[in-house]
Amino acid sequence: MKTDEVVVRVGGAAGDGVQSAGLIIAKVFSRSGLHVNTYNYYQSIIRGGQSWYQVRASDRPVRSQGDGLNILLALNRDALERHTNPMINEGGASPLGKTGVAIFDSSITDYKKEDVQYVSMPLGDIASRHGKNALMKNTVAIGATMAAIGMNFDTLADVIRDQFGNKGEVAEENVRAAREGYDYYLANFKKLGIALKTSNKKFYLISGGEAAGLGAVNGGLKMYVGYPMTPASSIIHFLASHEEQFGIFVKIPEDEISAINMAVGANYAGVRAMTGSSGGGFSLMVEALGMAGMMEVPLVVYEAQRAGPSTGLPTKNEQGDLNLVLGASQGDFQRIVLAPRNVEEAFYFAREALNLAEKYQTPVILMSDLYIAEHYETVEKFDLNFKIERGKLAQPGIKDYKRYEYTPDGISLRALPGTPGLMHNEDSDEHNEYGDVVSDAITDPALRAKSMEKRMRKLSAYIKSMPPTPTYRYEDAEYAIVQWGGTQGAVEEAVDALREKGIRAGVVEINRPYPLNPDIGKLLSGKKKIIVVEGNYSGQMNKLLRSEFLVKTELITKYDGENFYPGALAEEIEAVIKR
Amino acid sequence: MVTIADYRGKVKPDWCPGCGNFAQLSAISGALTDLKMDPKDTVVVSGIGCSSNMPEFINTYGFHGIHGRSLPVASAIKWANPKLNVICYGGDGDGFFEGTQHFFHTAKRNVDITYIVSDNQIFGLTTGQASPTSELGMKTKTTPDGNIEKPMNPLTLALTAGATFVARAFSGDAIHLKEVIKKGIEHRGFSFIDVFSPCVTYNKINTYDFFRKRVYKPEMDTKNFAKAYEMALQWGDKIPIGIFYDVQEESYEDRSPIIGSKSLIDQPLVQLKPEDLAEFL
Repeated sequence: MKTDEVVVRVGGAAGDGVQSAGLIIAKVFSRSGLHVNTYNYYQSIIRGGQSWYQVRASDRPVRSQGDGLNILLALNRDALERHTNPMINEGGASPLGKTGVAIFDSSITDYKKEDVQYVSMPLGDIASRHGKNALMKNTVAIGATMAAIGMNFDTLADVIRDQFGNKGEVAEENVRAAREGYDYYLANFKKLGIALKTSNKKFYLISGGEAAGLGAVNGGLKMYVGYPMTPASSIIHFLASHEEQFGIFVKIPEDEISAINMAVGANYAGVRAMTGSSGGGFSLMVEALGMAGMMEVPLVVYEAQRAGPSTGLPTKNEQGDLNLVLGASQGDFQRIVLAPRNVEEAFYFAREALNLAEKYQTPVILMSDLYIAEHYETVEKFDLNFKIERGKLAQPGIKDYKRYEYTPDGISLRALPGTPGLMHNEDSDEHNEYGDVVSDAITDPALRAKSMEKRMRKLSAYIKSMPPTPTYRYEDAEYAIVQWGGTQGAVEEAVDALREKGIRAGVVEINRPYPLNPDIGKLLSGKKKIIVVEGNYSGQMNKLLRSEFLVKTELITKYDGENFYPGALAEEIEAVIKR
Repeated sequence: MVTIADYRGKVKPDWCPGCGNFAQLSAISGALTDLKMDPKDTVVVSGIGCSSNMPEFINTYGFHGIHGRSLPVASAIKWANPKLNVICYGGDGDGFFEGTQHFFHTAKRNVDITYIVSDNQIFGLTTGQASPTSELGMKTKTTPDGNIEKPMNPLTLALTAGATFVARAFSGDAIHLKEVIKKGIEHRGFSFIDVFSPCVTYNKINTYDFFRKRVYKPEMDTKNFAKAYEMALQWGDKIPIGIFYDVQEESYEDRSPIIGSKSLIDQPLVQLKPEDLAEFL
């Protein structure tokens, strides 16, 4: 176990306060100027079950949930047993190594295991001395955790006060309970040999859903319409709770079909609007997505993947919706697909998506996944300077206005309703340059072909303007590891581990799955092996890369609902390299 | 000075000669002219079906979207830019089959738009299948032995959902039709107008003659929900047309702190400042 990082896991049942305890711990680290990465393991249940919240922190960037843990904070017996025994999803190793400790309430007396250091503490008794709320024992345990790592108590006290909204006595009760837990640990147990270098750096601790919402606000969003579905809820919760602050209209309508049609209607009227869902809701949106493509109405759809098919694993992660997003809706039309690799990028891509949609007058799908949308990461800085580009808008006074004029770049002047003199019809039927339907009375094959070609050439400028595909430790790489979207952190850390063993692997990181940047072909050429790593069963990106670039690839997949763990992934990659 | 000619689209309607939609195109154009509205300020939104081709034939802004989904599009246009007069137009298949839940919820919200349904009790554009308002026993391509479903009642549904303006008109009575549409457009809140619109090609039962024999215009107490509901249930030898219900309530827009007082489209874009991110520190 490394000594310059710490991994804390809070385990318990839903309703035990697992997530809020985890968030307090995460906030203490980020306020101490440390990099933080969290991981929320939970089920689709309101009470009971077994969930945990993991917080990893270090003075160097931490890009995934990591391997193993140092401190287990077990809020019930089940958590104690579960996390001190080998777990299938973590490569069979006990997540709590020999150097770690398990903190739990001393009322749990019937479980012991040889190779674990136990910190049995009277959490409940201590808590009851300070207040009536049973969940306050968590605060005591958090105090003990901070003592074990050697964190400053004052930072914890500040975070607790913030958490309880500086509500006088309740906050102070919790601070006192934490203090006693902190002192009790120091009086009775040894600190862990962890040396975290705290700093004065100011970090934002933010989830991918919140970052995407914030980015959209920065990008001029004025309306968000969506239907509740995990993991697309974090963005709508953030926006709804800031409705008045940012002047954003947030709406949950009767279904996702209504949501996307509303987003199209608002964009048509000239207001930047977004809709969003997970794969199930997105499936309902498919027809209207094609309508936006045909009618050339700007549209941004946020698609946060979870494990499918169908209802699947509602609270588990997967990258299984690439085919859905690429193929959604009948016929050919242009779409841009963005897949941010981390929380910070979710912010920048959300605002860029809104510009791209208006610039190219076509749907943009902003992909995310459960991991990015729901986990918290520290971000040092958000650059808030952003130029909003509304694309080609028609001004009054145009003679012989053609909404769908056949322009060389495939993009025509958009007249917003209310503009004097430019009344026209926008149509989901095939139409001519004016928007008049050509499908009913007069079918004109040559004209149809021209309209099709006009729409299909509109992304050529985008492709030329795409930034180079990002890479990691790639300059001297012999082996190309390809990742896309939210697996970035785990894949990079796996490659770090391989590099330490002398294996020259590097990562090609695809954050713009469609259209693919042509530079990927060059990046992949001449490598000893190309290994695509993705979180789905069939290798959807792998197939796309093969067909677009005619490359021979190897594939590593994961479809158990869990994230890649860097250690286990490094072993898998090594095995493929040696195969 | 706006004249009816200003509303004439450059594309000629391709409906069957005698189709009830012609009278509605004239009535909508006439109502907008009478109300002295500039064509640039109206958006006609439709789904798919014969009647849904309307936006092509009227010189306003037009949005001809997909089957059954016109109401959400229309609602959001209104929310984005409340200065626009938004008219949603479509058929009974479009509005009462695929669009039912949007119909119900748009009425419930009392969105300030006008929804006109050309109700011909049949699917026309797909060449004659039973629709949600087709009569029991009606023989169509999909019900060769007679329709075994009872027709739904759009008026009682609209009332139940919470529409604040509920009316019925008949394409065979163009003057009355225009007056009802005018009232519907003027109404603040969700206005629903069901229009008997004979399909001369596929519906040989609910013809102009059928309705001429049955429709009448009773005096109605438009402020009384229970009476409106009772009148809406009348069907048979005598079928009432006119305004059944017309009450003034807060519209959806009035209740929203975001879109009520100010127009989203006129709002300056938010400039994010570092202090807006303070909650994440």
